[in-house]
Amino acid sequence: MKRKIILIVVAVILVAGAIAAYLYFKPTPDIVQGSPDVSVNAGELIAAFESDTAAARRLYLDKVVAVTGPVKSIDTSGSVVLGEDGSLSVVSIGLDRRYLDDHQKVKVGKVATLQGICSGYTTSGGGDPDDLLASLGTTVQLRSAGVKNK
Amino acid sequence: MFRKHLLLFCGSLLLVMTVSAQDRYFTKTGRIEFVSKAPLEDIEAQNKTVTAVLDTKTGALQFSVQMKSFEFEKALMQQHFNENYVESDKYPKAEFRGVVTNNASVNYSKNGSYPVTVKGKLSLHNVTKDVEVPGTVKVDDGKIEAVSTFTILLSDYKIAIPSPVKNKIANNIKIVVDTKLDPLKG
Repeated sequence: MKRKIILIVVAVILVAGAIAAYLYFKPTPDIVQGSPDVSVNAGELIAAFESDTAAARRLYLDKVVAVTGPVKSIDTSGSVVLGEDGSLSVVSIGLDRRYLDDHQKVKVGKVATLQGICSGYTTSGGGDPDDLLASLGTTVQLRSAGVKNK
Repeated sequence: MFRKHLLLFCGSLLLVMTVSAQDRYFTKTGRIEFVSKAPLEDIEAQNKTVTAVLDTKTGALQFSVQMKSFEFEKALMQQHFNENYVESDKYPKAEFRGVVTNNASVNYSKNGSYPVTVKGKLSLHNVTKDVEVPGTVKVDDGKIEAVSTFTILLSDYKIAIPSPVKNKIANNIKIVVDTKLDPLKG
């Protein structure tokens, strides 16, 4: 009887430890493979934050978003910028560590779709004359992203 | 006659604006990494979508960092960072506003690597602190790369570490900044 109790206690500790270890070591999820919460064009996404920030936050912030738009620039260390030529307002996208090479799948000037988590935004304007960032247009950020193959 | 003057005025205004804009360099894909080394484990995270702007004429430098854009390897760490440490729902952005104190010693039209000192205010977790950090400005054929490595103390920014993991997480965090800046076309 006593032996049985000890065995049960040991088993419980082992299971609890395994669960704790699993939770602790669990990697950040792959955002790119699944289907997105919402799909949107880069221009629409930028306009949404500019016109009604509260509504855009509800719709996009912290959501899995697939964004389609012309590639404006590529940073080979792991980021892609979508936006129209001649506009400073862009969607700036950080690639997930598992998709760092995805910058090779896109070309400047060509339309691409990338999927990631919408992690923030900055709208242009504001009345602060010392604010250098105010002249840089609107920026919407995505993180943990990758190129969505069509 | 009036129209001609107006045109001339607008033209020169445009010229002035273009000239001043050309002094500015920016990026929306700057990188900031932080590294925390502690006895039990190292914590690392990267943010690849930092906005930065440098006015080469005045040396004014500004950064905007979305806290939720930091990517971790472990899901739980990312969650704790956002929810418990920096409280990114409440304080979504970190910002730096400062100036290159020795801007005159950087020749932005000549290729080279120039050591700089940057002084300004860093706002993080609703706390603003004066900071002074060393950095390097690299000029390469009209492109500018600005890099810096420095340390901040979590306690300076009222980022509390819960006692069960107090010894696991270091109070001093190494910050590595790497930004490649392009000319801002008016």
